[in-house]
Amino acid sequence: MKGATNSERLKNIIKENIAAWLFLIPYLGFFICFLLFPILRGMYVSLFDAALGRESIFVGLENYVTIFKDKAFWQSLFNTLFFVIISTPAIVLVGFVFAIFVNSKLKGTTFLRVSYFASYVLSMAVVTGLWIFIYQPYTGLLSVITNALGLGEIYWLNTKWLVWFAILVTTIWWTVGFNMVLFLVGLQDIPDEIYEAAEIDGANSRQILFRITIPLLRDTTVLVILLQTISSFKLFGQTYLMAGGGPGTHTRTLVHYIYETGFTNRRMGLAAAMSVAFFVVVLLVSLLQNKVFAKK
Amino acid sequence: MRKHKKLTLGRVILYIVAYIFAFLWLFPIFWMLVSALKPVGTPVSILSKVFTGTFTFRNFILVGEKAPVWTWSLNSLIVSSAVTFGTIALTSMAAYSLSKLNFKGRGLTQLIITAGMMIPIEAIIIPLYQTMAELNLLNTYSGLVFPSLAAPIGVLIMKRCFDSIPDELIEASVLDGANPFQRWWQVCLPLSKSSMAAVGIFTFKNAWNDFLWPFLSVTSEKMMTLPVGIPQFQGANLSEFVLPMTASVIASVPALIVFLIFQKQIMQGIAMTGIKG
Repeated sequence: MKGATNSERLKNIIKENIAAWLFLIPYLGFFICFLLFPILRGMYVSLFDAALGRESIFVGLENYVTIFKDKAFWQSLFNTLFFVIISTPAIVLVGFVFAIFVNSKLKGTTFLRVSYFASYVLSMAVVTGLWIFIYQPYTGLLSVITNALGLGEIYWLNTKWLVWFAILVTTIWWTVGFNMVLFLVGLQDIPDEIYEAAEIDGANSRQILFRITIPLLRDTTVLVILLQTISSFKLFGQTYLMAGGGPGTHTRTLVHYIYETGFTNRRMGLAAAMSVAFFVVVLLVSLLQNKVFAKK
Repeated sequence: MRKHKKLTLGRVILYIVAYIFAFLWLFPIFWMLVSALKPVGTPVSILSKVFTGTFTFRNFILVGEKAPVWTWSLNSLIVSSAVTFGTIALTSMAAYSLSKLNFKGRGLTQLIITAGMMIPIEAIIIPLYQTMAELNLLNTYSGLVFPSLAAPIGVLIMKRCFDSIPDELIEASVLDGANPFQRWWQVCLPLSKSSMAAVGIFTFKNAWNDFLWPFLSVTSEKMMTLPVGIPQFQGANLSEFVLPMTASVIASVPALIVFLIFQKQIMQGIAMTGIKG
């Protein structure tokens, strides 16, 4: 500022520093207490044989050795990865197809968009509850159809592998609207002139799709795939509420196993070590995502 | 803008497929809404019986007698509102500081908050539970609200919005003698209504539907929110569809109404931020 003396300028700098921290502290307080501190504390607790309500004993990396040797841990990791691998392509693809539908200038575009997206605003508890009633043998909605087709009663949620299919369909129905919107934004960023030029050049709609639309959506697709991967890694509610991780432990995911170890079996140290492992995996995917975002 | 195209065979197929999927996507929601209006004991999986016969609103009273659904609704409303208003207030303040004020440690603070984005709640449930237990916050509203207030995404969205406010505007108000608080309240906030709305709508939807943390931290039935109470209620009534469906409708109607009113903003919000609930 013109005419300000040195001491005045210093006073202003100090004032601004104080103001800045006053604005920050309310948020930072919550951020530190309930996000930053817990993640650090989790890493610390993972080095102890800890349980609620008794003294913890320092065990170094023993918890990590234990989970490394724990077959159930590897199974839950496998289950989680299995879901990531089946769900990511499926949900990304359906999201892309829905975005194409909405972007095709059909009559009733708003209706289509709202229809595909509405289920996304429902809560996981509602969605799983609804689909339990759809899948339930004898009294469920699908039971009427499978009986009409002569397939009889199908125990969707109690049959190995079939349960994954059921959970996959539920998850697609619930969350695909999110991916659709991201694709839709990508599609709307492609200028109409490109399509018009292609049409004048005599390109058919298949050529337009594969030579123009898909290549130009590359960045969006990478982003959607990474977000979907992270989200699939966190799978817990659907498998827990719809199948209880079963039949047996067939759909017990990593988060479910952390929950069981920490809350049911009360082995907090061990569960914390698993959480750290889980965090590292998710972190790697997020870092990849940030790299992609930064390029944009 | 391209015009509606001519109706070729390909377009006809596109119409049919697109509308079949729209029907498949809407049908379960529609089924739920209608089932909640049928007398208790109606076999709602037999569709001819769902869409014909008598309809009643009595279930909304009956369900409240069977389980504390209205208490859960009230809890959900209290927690989601507190999280929403808290998030808007806290994040707009923090973002203003990071965007428009110069202070020592700004870069580092910004970096740490951004890094916090990568911490999923699933990775901290154990230590968070321990901390909350020590603070005696399990089974309390504060215990349900506080972890949601720590989420960094709102700060980053608000900061991006404040960054786009030209510094000249702020300098002009400095010359008018505005202090940092006035610059925030009188200059920055009025210019960021749409971002605050986006943050607010998303925060509300996510808080209203939040499952994992309430599920872990609430054991007392009286403190449950709808997403925690409903599965428990349904689990106890698997042979009877109508009342669990009614509870689900109570949990869904506010979210669906918010969605129908704000669907444009919600979709723009996703586009802007890529937040996944």
